[in-house]
Amino acid sequence: MPRIMTIWLPRWPVQRRLRESPELRHAPLFVCRHEPRGVMRVVAWAWAVPAPGESGATRSRSRPAERGRPAARIVAGMSLAEALAVLAQSDGSRACHRAEIVADDPVADREGIEEVARWCRRFAPLVAVESAGRPECVHVDVTGTAEFFGGEETLVRTAVWTLQARGIHARAAIADTIGAGWAAARHTDFRPPPAGHPAGHPALPARHRRCAIVPPADQMAALAHLPAAALRLEGDCLARLSEVGVDTIGGVGKLPRKSLPSRFGPQLARRLAQCSGTLAEPLETPCGGELPQASQAFDFPLLLRDLTQESLGALVQRLVEACMAPLAAAGKGVTALQVRLESSRSRAGQKGAQEGAREACPPTVIDVGLFRPSAAVGHLAELIRLRMARAHLPREISGIVVDVVAVGPVAARQRMLFGEVAEATASQVGLLLDRLSGRLGRSAVFEPKLLADAQPEHAWLAVPPAASGRLPAGGRQGAKTRACALPAGGRFPERRPICLLPRPVRLEAVAVVPDGPPVRFQYEGQTHHIAQARGPERIETAWWRGPCVRRDYYVVDTSAGDRYWLFRRLQDGGWFLHGRFA
Amino acid sequence: MVSIGLPGGEQVRDMLAAQVAGAGGGFTFKGPAQPVLSSGFRALDRLLPAEGVRRGSLLEWLAATEASGAAALACAVACRMAATPAGGAILVVDRRGLFHPPAVLPWLEEACGGRGEALAGRLVVARPNRDDDEVWAIDQALRCAGVAAVLAWPQRVHPTAMRRWQLAAKAGGAVGLLVRPQAARRESSWAEARVRVSGALEAGRTDSLSLRRLRLALVGGPWMGEGHMEERTADIVLDLARGRDGTLPERDVALLRSLPQQGAAQREGKAVCRAS
Repeated sequence: MPRIMTIWLPRWPVQRRLRESPELRHAPLFVCRHEPRGVMRVVAWAWAVPAPGESGATRSRSRPAERGRPAARIVAGMSLAEALAVLAQSDGSRACHRAEIVADDPVADREGIEEVARWCRRFAPLVAVESAGRPECVHVDVTGTAEFFGGEETLVRTAVWTLQARGIHARAAIADTIGAGWAAARHTDFRPPPAGHPAGHPALPARHRRCAIVPPADQMAALAHLPAAALRLEGDCLARLSEVGVDTIGGVGKLPRKSLPSRFGPQLARRLAQCSGTLAEPLETPCGGELPQASQAFDFPLLLRDLTQESLGALVQRLVEACMAPLAAAGKGVTALQVRLESSRSRAGQKGAQEGAREACPPTVIDVGLFRPSAAVGHLAELIRLRMARAHLPREISGIVVDVVAVGPVAARQRMLFGEVAEATASQVGLLLDRLSGRLGRSAVFEPKLLADAQPEHAWLAVPPAASGRLPAGGRQGAKTRACALPAGGRFPERRPICLLPRPVRLEAVAVVPDGPPVRFQYEGQTHHIAQARGPERIETAWWRGPCVRRDYYVVDTSAGDRYWLFRRLQDGGWFLHGRFA
Repeated sequence: MVSIGLPGGEQVRDMLAAQVAGAGGGFTFKGPAQPVLSSGFRALDRLLPAEGVRRGSLLEWLAATEASGAAALACAVACRMAATPAGGAILVVDRRGLFHPPAVLPWLEEACGGRGEALAGRLVVARPNRDDDEVWAIDQALRCAGVAAVLAWPQRVHPTAMRRWQLAAKAGGAVGLLVRPQAARRESSWAEARVRVSGALEAGRTDSLSLRRLRLALVGGPWMGEGHMEERTADIVLDLARGRDGTLPERDVALLRSLPQQGAAQREGKAVCRAS
């Protein structure tokens, strides 16, 4: 029986834009499509919060919805005006003023999810995107491959958390059929009602669950408590089911099969059969058929200790050349590629193993990403070499696969006979950024963008470098322009230190006047006498993020000529060092 | 009788001074000519051996304390390098993760002429997690022709690494601005100049928030005889609101922006130290 892992990317249109433009996280984001007569319909919306580590900020809580006020109930298909009204009712009018509205781009959404699907080839070679008008799921045929990852539970958890590490929120489930996996992935936070639970009552939600395993050959019983919408039904079919009081998959299963097409249309019977497995639903055309892939298998596994870096690099470079040939002819370059080092281990010593038998091990996967498309084989090979130097390589390599995950157009540049071309230096900076991110990691190389936030920890945001200066695809030009231009709130650099401590350090300070500036303080075992103090600059903010920040900041010059940035916390009068004018 | 012309005392002193200058500190620079740019601070230009900041060189800023203003001055010089017609990006190698961009981005905008869109791609921050990654990142950035200045805070630097950086800067043409603790003064260096920076606070004088007085001292000048090393000092005023010389009138600032080589002739590569 096949096993299919379904990875659901909730609100994918919003997620894709947040990945490309992290500055959009700080405000409600609506993806809308234009309809006749100027009506705008919401396709997807979200109000993300900054992740830990962005701009050195600590994790902050979400909007007041988590503090007892009801969350905004905005659903896809709602008009934008109605959605904003609902948002204002739940989170205040300020949220509406900050809302970002971007145009729907289904083509870019599909390209994005296809890129994710190609990346998922690290789990199994057969990957497909959901066959729907607006796909949000990726199906991976993991039949027989789960054992390489330590079991289905480990595999599905690995899939979710490796995607999370790439900034993609996902939920995943493994089941016998695509339909069952689709249903389980969308409802991983539902658990079956306990014994004695009133029949027909909705199942109890289990928070923070992103993975689900549907037992083999038992999917209908396991999914019986899920809502009928989990069968991938249209709205009118669901309406007819609710008229007769059927709202769970178990209830649908109890209906007489012969009367389903006549009463509810052909779709219900088909979806029910696909979910149960009685009607086959093969994976559609495997993803990535259009992008090149090159591989080399060895008759005998190569020992890593017998390989030099140069010889391994030469092998990889040959495969990269094979991949680049068709792309270069089409004027395209690579923006992401994946190198998989396949390995195997001997089964000697295992019970029942034949002499010389070997078993496959999970491949070592090396992902390489670029900030701008490149068709230079040497540059790609060097990036792969930098990543391999940091990766833990297997002892034996039985094959190498180079897989192009994403491509983009390569800008043609006309060479000048005399003088330097500004574009040439910009491209060199792009190559430098690729090398830096290749060795240090993509999150370690960024451009800072100022935000209009008074709290110093949230005053800037780390965004991926835009070496070409172009706008990210699908992004809103207004937002990008605002992120480039300095906000009015950030135009006082004399009040901001060059070195900001990630967490303020508590000090022992002495002030003559209770609400006045300090006259001396102790820091790192030294007493600093303050010659001049300027302030206070009061910062009271972040009420919507959780505990309010209320600080009186002072810029102080010590008698030794040093300059520090201190603040007194108004809640308890404690003094803290927050920065140094280094 | 054949008279052997033995060199006199002054000639011997000149020979020894030339040998000392060539032995370390990088004051003697042989190679293709590199343009010398104004740092934006008159007093600092007069202090530096090349009477300005030479592209393709390293400058060490020895901070008297962690809040002495050395990094601020280095950032101001970096913004100046990025705003020249040759331009380029500023790469900050922030090993400790303390760099706070809101203090510098307005300076860069001011230096680039106040155009917000011109900031895209001008300031990039790299945060390596390991010391060897930091050394590598600085080396790679200095080699890149599209980088105008590299700003870093290396704590412990092996002389081999410093030499690597010097050669990388020479090859790429970027300016390496290394902010280091004062204790690094005892280490050997391949920087073209080492400037000790300390805050200067005059007793009884109250400065505005946007001005910062700094005292600079050129470390390791040429041996001038009589058993002492000459130490040249200068006082500057750093305008923290704009990241430039606080003593310059507005018209001179505009002139400085348009003529990056003002006051500093291109030299063949041999720095000459003149007594102040």
